[in-house]
Amino acid sequence: MKKLLILLATLLLATSLVACKAEEPVAEVKDVTLKVWGSQDDQAMLGEMVEAFKAANTGVNWTIELGVVGEPDARTKYLEDPEAAADVFAYPNDQVMDLVNAGALYEVTINKDAIVAANIQSAVDAATVDGKLYGYPMTADNGYFMYYDKSVYSEEDVKSLDKMLEVAQAAGKKVFFDVSNGWYIASFFIGAGNTFSMVDGKQVLDFNNETGVKVGEAIKAFTAHPAFLTGDDNIFKAGMGTTIAAGVSGTWNAGDISTILGANYAATKLPEYTLGGVATQLGSFAGFKLMGVNSLTAFPEEAMALAEFLTNEANQIKRFETRKLGPSNKNAAQNEAVLADVALSALAQQAPFAISQNSVAGTYWGPAEAFGLALENKDYTMSIQAMLDALVSQAAGE
Amino acid sequence: MMKSMKARAKAGNALIYAILSGLSFIWLLPIVWLIMSSFRKEPGAYTAYIIPKEFTLDNYTRLFTETTLFNYPRWFMNTLIVAIFSCIISTVIVLLTSYALSRLRFKMRKPMMNIALVLGMFPGFMSMIAIYHILKAFGLTQSLFALVLVYSGGAALGYYISKGFFDTIPKAIDESAMLDGASKNTIFWKITLPLSKPIVVYTILMAFIGPWVDFIFVSVIMKDNYQNYTVALGLFQMLSRENIYQYFTRFAAGAVLIAIPITILFIYMQKYYVSGITGGSVKG
Repeated sequence: MKKLLILLATLLLATSLVACKAEEPVAEVKDVTLKVWGSQDDQAMLGEMVEAFKAANTGVNWTIELGVVGEPDARTKYLEDPEAAADVFAYPNDQVMDLVNAGALYEVTINKDAIVAANIQSAVDAATVDGKLYGYPMTADNGYFMYYDKSVYSEEDVKSLDKMLEVAQAAGKKVFFDVSNGWYIASFFIGAGNTFSMVDGKQVLDFNNETGVKVGEAIKAFTAHPAFLTGDDNIFKAGMGTTIAAGVSGTWNAGDISTILGANYAATKLPEYTLGGVATQLGSFAGFKLMGVNSLTAFPEEAMALAEFLTNEANQIKRFETRKLGPSNKNAAQNEAVLADVALSALAQQAPFAISQNSVAGTYWGPAEAFGLALENKDYTMSIQAMLDALVSQAAGE
Repeated sequence: MMKSMKARAKAGNALIYAILSGLSFIWLLPIVWLIMSSFRKEPGAYTAYIIPKEFTLDNYTRLFTETTLFNYPRWFMNTLIVAIFSCIISTVIVLLTSYALSRLRFKMRKPMMNIALVLGMFPGFMSMIAIYHILKAFGLTQSLFALVLVYSGGAALGYYISKGFFDTIPKAIDESAMLDGASKNTIFWKITLPLSKPIVVYTILMAFIGPWVDFIFVSVIMKDNYQNYTVALGLFQMLSRENIYQYFTRFAAGAVLIAIPITILFIYMQKYYVSGITGGSVKG
């Protein structure tokens, strides 16, 4: 027993010694060690950007490491161990609430006005919580729009969903729309003017009001149409050009779809659908990727300078050139090459009808998916009103 | 009378074979599909047809030549190294523990066995975050050494099956060896172990497969250190929504390749996998 105690004591001592050896030495030339997280596809590009940053900021002994954590995983990986997380990391704007609540992000204080002025308003809003800016807008391309096959549709056809279905049916093809996904199905409700809001941390929806019920009926009619097809990205890409004539998806598929369709590749904003006899434009969500600074960083000023550099106009254009990522910077968005990009210009056309995801709670997705799934499966055992009532109360967490 | 019995037996057999063929078809279909996908030339995770239109070896060669985005060869070696070391360590630990608990009698033996059994019932990943912070305190995170520790550290808790096997080896063998002057240690290495080949093989296989299929611990321990990923975590990176269309067939090829070392080990070990060895060892 005594031996065991001695052993335990030694172990404890050893661990505590290991734990407290980390004191930074102060040198003449300042040593700055930073880590940046980005997705694997971005590593080579980030490496070049970091080199450019070092070259532009001499007089400091920079050690800048890169780590592979893609934007979708940023929140999870950060929260697992904030101390081991990167000083500067990219994240999608729908994680901003959780990250701010966890105290993960450093408020942007240096050059704030210049950053706000340089980027589009919706991107800045998406990075702002309670009037404080928590991220450097990096891209503005996380949204969806309509891809279509030019050999099937004319530019006139793709303005109306009904017309699209009609033409597709006549051609023996389908229109792809992932209705059993809260992100996509919301487009019908957003278009009709239904709203998302957060009250006391709970999701409040008005999807079960009179308009909402009409929207539900419109989705029901859409999913019941013989030319309607649902599924995920894989189904979409497997059928596009052969069995599928048009589909709703985002810029991440642009490269693949343009390869598949070749000369027939085209994209535009979402069409209008018929809501209780009135043609109504489909809405959408607009998502942004932001660069944030870890609140635990040892070098906040340098980290902010790096984050600002990585998201400046020149680097946003570089992002577009190497990875086809749509810029949030106003000047970069007006770049000729960006304007000529089919997918990004479709997204830009859709932008006026898009809303940010900041007031969508995590509780929304499950019930919305269930609602879409029931309609896709033509399960009409409950009335639309009852289904929407269930959606609203479940999303509120009741 | 005889005839009808024969006919009934035949009918019964036919039914059993039909069911078995049906089951094996269901069981083999995903594997066949995976292998076909790995040779498919057309990209994409989903195709509207089952048999690929064109076959190619490209998916395999590019897995090893195009390593800037996904460094498969490196991940494969990482996994192999971790698998070999954790296999050796945990096999030794399991067998020693089982032997001690089967043959030796000491104070607290029963309570220890019960505690180990109960602990073994909790899924390993429950302690994941705690393990991560302990490793971090020692400065061991993001290293392959940490993975070996994690995979072999809890090995002793899996003593149950081999202990059961050792229990079936007659005590008489041990006693006769002891009369000839053998110590407990000699008995274990020279007598019990050669008699326990099936269970040794089983233990080795289980310990070897672990690192190839584990995802959770690697992702927590390796975090952003891409070079030290194992195949399970690495291959998963190919399935992100930006990459899946381009890389799915390569993912399938990578998955097929993982089966190779495991299959080789299994085929090599299979000849030892013969039961009934203990039966003939005691003459009398």
